[in-house]
Amino acid sequence: MIELLNYQFFQNAIIGGILIGIISAWIGLFLVLKKESMIVDGAAHTAFGGLALGLLIGIDPFLTALIVSIISIFLISHMRSKGHAYSDSAIALMLAVGFSIGLAIISVTRGFGVDIFSFLFGSILTISREEIILITLLATSIAAFLSNFHREILAIIFNEDEAKIMGIPVRRISICFNLMIAVAIILSIKMVGTVLVVALMVIPALAALRLKCSFIKTLISSITIAIIGVISGIIISAYYRIATSAMIVLILLLIYMIIVVRKRW
Amino acid sequence: MEKVLEVKELKVIRNGRIVIDGAEFEVLKGDYIGIIGPNGGGKTTLLLAILGRIPRISGSIKWFGKELKDFKDWHRIAFIPQDATNFDRNFPLSVKEFVVLGRLGRKAGRKINREDWEEVDLALEFMGLAEVANKRIGELSEGQKQRMFVARALVRKPEVLILDEPIAGMDASIQEKFYQKMSELNHKMNVTILMVSHDLSVVFCKMNKVICVNKEVYVAKVGKEAEEVLRKAYGEHFYFVFHRHECRGEFVD
Ligand SMILES: Nc1ncnc2c1ncn2[C@@H]1O[C@H](COP(=O)(O)OP(=O)(O)OP(=O)(O)O)[C@@H](O)[C@H]1O
Ligand SMILES: [Mg+2]
Repeated sequence: MIELLNYQFFQNAIIGGILIGIISAWIGLFLVLKKESMIVDGAAHTAFGGLALGLLIGIDPFLTALIVSIISIFLISHMRSKGHAYSDSAIALMLAVGFSIGLAIISVTRGFGVDIFSFLFGSILTISREEIILITLLATSIAAFLSNFHREILAIIFNEDEAKIMGIPVRRISICFNLMIAVAIILSIKMVGTVLVVALMVIPALAALRLKCSFIKTLISSITIAIIGVISGIIISAYYRIATSAMIVLILLLIYMIIVVRKRW
Repeated sequence: MEKVLEVKELKVIRNGRIVIDGAEFEVLKGDYIGIIGPNGGGKTTLLLAILGRIPRISGSIKWFGKELKDFKDWHRIAFIPQDATNFDRNFPLSVKEFVVLGRLGRKAGRKINREDWEEVDLALEFMGLAEVANKRIGELSEGQKQRMFVARALVRKPEVLILDEPIAGMDASIQEKFYQKMSELNHKMNVTILMVSHDLSVVFCKMNKVICVNKEVYVAKVGKEAEEVLRKAYGEHFYFVFHRHECRGEFVD
């Protein structure tokens, strides 16, 4: 257990995991409040197509995935803001298209079997020093944005019309926020893979909301829960050789259940 | 007198039906205006249109001399919508955290400071919400929620205050206090107030103008000339409406 800490890969995983956990829980809380958590699932699966595309044309797959995820998030939120009926079905459709294109590309070109597995299920234990630097940069800029504008974002989520009348630059803030969601999704894919991104972003928020407290306490609880889940998930998975993403999500679910049961009492 | 709002030939259509037809009126600085009219007459529609929240078919709207589309100083205005209290009960905000949102809209990303929190405490104290300041907003009673929205409007220190039936759930003593505060804001701070109200006695006692909305929009000074306006706005129900406030002996000439 202790000797694990001496390994570079393990230190990297813990640092990267905590940073990703913080911002995904933070953004996840806003998305849950906005009742838009399925956007994450849609965009994450669509991004899988982007990952495959990157491998195919030979550039960093996470870059193409980021672009695809940005596009899909803006498409989805455009549809929702225009009040298109069936925007939920549109998310499902986009998810299916992106994901199946990704699978098709990969099956045609075969060859990169290992990568597919890490895209689907995450690869936090193989994170490199350079990636840690990139993750730190992205995570701190997202955190800076969120802490500066969290009241504006809250006001917009609470009632967009009122926020506009209050003179809050709703459009600009929403655009920035959508970009942050896309980046957070890509970072989370790195950690837990496309399939479980939505769980990583949503479960801490759902658990924290169960505590029924003020916003600031809800936010802090949500981030704390995410950090606990990430650290213990990584440790257990490295020790017992269980899939990290599964372990993280299972622990988050366990915390959620403990909170639900305790609140019932 | 400075013109706060200037509306010309405003026409608004909702669901294919004309709801506001050729509204034409001015609001001057320091006005205290009651907006009255039957249910479905278009009061809420009129407010949302002048705030740019629903589109208009024709006409012009000027705030502080600026066309609506060029108007940017929204921090000068506070608005409480009719269905304000109809929010998600589980939203994780304390009353204090909610009211401080009223301080937004001046400069995006401005840090909330001590002075902002002091304003919040004052407003909560004033609206009798100090004891529930740390409760979650969903736990308040209907009347308390309404007072919370008033508190959020007050911390904006607005030059114009627009309220769409703000007192529906408040108890009698709070209503009285609320109207006192409105008069005080209007007289001492020269805040311009537009308030939708169905309580004609209050409108005729405390306010200086009425705007009657029933598809067409009529404006009158409070007093005898308002009779004609009421007759047009309420049609056949006019006698009942008019008689009611006369009975209370509160008709101000
Ligand atoms: N969201 C909406 N979409 C379409 N039509 C609407 C909408 N809201 C109101 N209307 C219509 O506009 C007309 C005016 O409604 P409005 O809410 O402005 O009346 P009001 O004077 O505020 O009534 P109340 O006293 O009941 O609040 C009504 O005929 C109503 O059916
Ligand atoms: Mg109304």
